[in-house]
Amino acid sequence: MQPSDIRRLVIDWLDDNYHFGEAEALIGDDEDKSFLRNGVLDSLGFVKLILHLEDACNVQIDRKDVSPANFDSLLKVVTYVSAQLTKART
Amino acid sequence: MSFIEVEFLFFLPIVWMVHWLLPRRIGAQNAALLASSYLFFAAWHWKVLGLVIAGTIVDYLVGSYLGRTTGSKESATSRRIALATSLLFGLGALAFFKYEGFFASSINALLMSLGFSSSLPVLKLALPLGISFYTLQRVGYVLDVYWGRHPPARTFLDFAVFTSFFPQVTAGPISRASELLSQLQRPRHLTADLLARGAAAFLMGYVLKGWAGDSIGNDLVNPVFDRSTEFGVLAHWAGVGGYALQVFGDFAGYSLMAIGVGRLFGIELPVNFNFPFLSRSLPEFWRRWHITLNRWLFDYIFTPLTTSRGWFRGRIDTALLVTFLASGLWHGANWTFVLWGALHGLGMIVHRNWDEIYRGWCRRNRAWVQRRKSWWYAAFAWLVTIGFFVLTLVPFRSSNIGAATDFAARMFSSPGDALPPIGINVMLAVLVMIGYHLLETKHFAWCRERYFALPPFVRGLTYGAVIVFLMIKTPVASGTFIYQQF
Repeated sequence: MQPSDIRRLVIDWLDDNYHFGEAEALIGDDEDKSFLRNGVLDSLGFVKLILHLEDACNVQIDRKDVSPANFDSLLKVVTYVSAQLTKART
Repeated sequence: MSFIEVEFLFFLPIVWMVHWLLPRRIGAQNAALLASSYLFFAAWHWKVLGLVIAGTIVDYLVGSYLGRTTGSKESATSRRIALATSLLFGLGALAFFKYEGFFASSINALLMSLGFSSSLPVLKLALPLGISFYTLQRVGYVLDVYWGRHPPARTFLDFAVFTSFFPQVTAGPISRASELLSQLQRPRHLTADLLARGAAAFLMGYVLKGWAGDSIGNDLVNPVFDRSTEFGVLAHWAGVGGYALQVFGDFAGYSLMAIGVGRLFGIELPVNFNFPFLSRSLPEFWRRWHITLNRWLFDYIFTPLTTSRGWFRGRIDTALLVTFLASGLWHGANWTFVLWGALHGLGMIVHRNWDEIYRGWCRRNRAWVQRRKSWWYAAFAWLVTIGFFVLTLVPFRSSNIGAATDFAARMFSSPGDALPPIGINVMLAVLVMIGYHLLETKHFAWCRERYFALPPFVRGLTYGAVIVFLMIKTPVASGTFIYQQF
């Protein structure tokens, strides 16, 4: 799974669950825009996104990694999941 | 000693001057803050200091060990033992002082109702000042270091100030290591901007707590709750509605004062209230009310329970109930708080499931997305959210479940006076609370912007007028903080 696939996966999930076609516009050009501070996701959605990523990308997200530092923006999610997938492959 | 007692008016200027007259080095500044903070504890009861210092030493040593062994697979077991030692000490002390009496009397009552004899000792211990707050702050620090999210404190002095910083020790805000410890590890400088913003926050907090909250509490809430049988249906609704404003004024006021005092020492504490009565859903309400406690519960209970290999992985509803039961129990060792927590847990579950259903409609028909953005949906959602919160304050304010049930029944049928005698003070206080929230909305934001665009001396005059008003209307030490007792 490439970073662009992970990006699409997150956008589709946000559209399907929260923003119904407006997720990409809401995030805009700044893909490091905070999900929590900009109303893209609330704290419950944050947990649901993590569960979705574990199932869809087949990665195990460690408890210590569950923090805004890894999941609070599109860029952070893509970077973190890509790194986990690379780690799993090697 | 609290922010609204006369001793504090002498304590604050003295420790402030000592802090800024010392050399601008981290060690000197932190030593001054630690001495001030321990003096603050000792003013409540010197014996508390032993508990505070012992907990600080344990968590500092554990944090340092966890920091040294981060990433080491060989020491996984000893790391877990160190973490368990810290949690056992901190949460054990909290359990002993706060919950021993509650659990012992509940077990005694349960066993006796089943026909067994039970006489577990029920100790009537005084709750050490701030224990519910600094315990959570220390537990958060140790877990962050254990998970590798934050490095351990560099020195014992930095950590000791982090766990006992006097403006926040009575009732929060509960800071994360990344927020407060990092500020304590660099020299601080006093700027005119910090001083002005600190004084303004303190003054606004005093208005909310010392005048508005206490006025509503003394003249409206206390008479209705204390002499419920004398009042009719309207008074009961007004009483519980007034209590919502009183608790907000009391706690948001305290938090603002703490933030204000923190700024006077060059430290920015986290925001604890963000205009909660503007919320249009229960989750939004809990992101705006007592923010630092709720994010703690979310970070250290809810998320670990529902993600990774957590006990309730994917079972969000169960985890919500557990989290809010913990919140209820944190507020006090009484079944009324457990009921309050359970009601909010159930409220969150109902909201989450409603949200799922509504999103299903949105997927099928985009018109539902637009309906959710309409003014009438917003108005209805606001009414349900705030109405639910206000109603759950009945058990929160009542001394026991029986009194709560009785009060709730009287909200629908009760002979008696329509309302207790309410003076202009209460009406003005309610208007100030409403205005405080309205100024945050986009419709009235221009008022706020124009005010802050005024020349400093004009704003200074308004602050002066507020101080004179408070001196006339608010006797010093007129009340206590509700959250201090939690």
